[in-house]
Amino acid sequence: MSYKKIVEMIPVEKRGELSDKLLNYLLKAKKENKMPSSLAKCFLSQWQTGDFNDAVGLAILLEATATVEPEKTIEYVEKEMQLPKVAKALKEAA
Amino acid sequence: MVKFGVEFVPKEAYWKTVYYAIQSEKRGFDNLWITDHYNNRNVYVTLAATAMYTKKIVFGPGVTNPFLVNPIMTTQSLASLDEMAPGRVVLGMGAGDKTTLASTGIEANKQLSAVVDAITIFKAMLEGKSVTYEGQVFQVKGTKFNFKPRGQIPVYIGAQGPKMLATAGQIGDGVLINASHPRDIDYAVSQIRSGVKEAGKSMSDVDVTAYTSFSVDKKPEKAMQAASPVVAFIVAGSPNVILERHGIEMDKANKIRGALAKGDFGTAFGSVSPKMMEAFCIAGTPDVCNEKISRLLKAGITQFVVGSPVGPNVRKSIDLISEQVIPHFK
Repeated sequence: MSYKKIVEMIPVEKRGELSDKLLNYLLKAKKENKMPSSLAKCFLSQWQTGDFNDAVGLAILLEATATVEPEKTIEYVEKEMQLPKVAKALKEAA
Repeated sequence: MVKFGVEFVPKEAYWKTVYYAIQSEKRGFDNLWITDHYNNRNVYVTLAATAMYTKKIVFGPGVTNPFLVNPIMTTQSLASLDEMAPGRVVLGMGAGDKTTLASTGIEANKQLSAVVDAITIFKAMLEGKSVTYEGQVFQVKGTKFNFKPRGQIPVYIGAQGPKMLATAGQIGDGVLINASHPRDIDYAVSQIRSGVKEAGKSMSDVDVTAYTSFSVDKKPEKAMQAASPVVAFIVAGSPNVILERHGIEMDKANKIRGALAKGDFGTAFGSVSPKMMEAFCIAGTPDVCNEKISRLLKAGITQFVVGSPVGPNVRKSIDLISEQVIPHFK
């Protein structure tokens, strides 16, 4: 499943909170070299022209965070946000 | 009107530093300074990426030094960046950190002459003509680019001692003063003024910049905790004359120096006193920071640089500065 489709499974009212948390995970990630070059460019282009709260931005952020910090991302979505189906989709996508 | 700058140390992957650069531009900062140390990511790679993802923030190395990077290469790098981001590039040049330079085997002798030589070569080469110059530290013989630089680029000089400060007033478009306390800024401004006067310039010709150690958070204890490691390193690296200016006991400073030398960071950071925090950083809630920034403005600064650590959470602190600090002054 694409990250765009995964974002569609997340309630709109929860996207801002998730975006904030994921940015913290990503910017504090120690294994930063796990970020693919093309995804880093995509992440920066999105930030330059928009943000990470809308569907397009959140899909890019979710992909980046699930790539660099998969365990934290999945655990947060599953346990804190109570979105087990999203967590399952992330496990399959990561 | 005062300008706001922000300093980042490119110690993390480039995309993190560039993320913060984009955020700083979006949140109303005027200037971006990237530090230049060989043991971090390369400053010009970081700045080139910044150029690609920003459109109005002014940026440059803050600061490079002529000992590790030859002035010709610095000029080439800045001239090339100026093509990528026309009119948005500035040079920050200082004498370099002796401890870091020593680890590379470079002896940073004749620091003042080296900086003057470097800036003379920089300005001459940006004219696009063949340059011959016989300085005390650097010499060039018929050096010329195979391309035409866009023109002059503003030069900021990182200065702390009296001669470098006066020289910065004489030949610089700006001065980067590594200080967070009005007492140090007062002293620096008086030295800069003497150089400005000697050159027949006006103080309004020079962007007097406080390059501070800064940490802001809604919870003051979190802001202070984030700043104390930076203050420990500042205390350890400060000349005794500056410690004495702030009434800091030498035995306490030496305890921090000794602990850092042994890699005992717990002791070093735990030995930072309130007096040291007061002297060497601006840390606290936005209201507390605003009051301290006001004091520096009264001392004569025209640019305020938010330097490391910025805050316990850099992203959230940049937002907080944008919401509650910059609007207080603009």
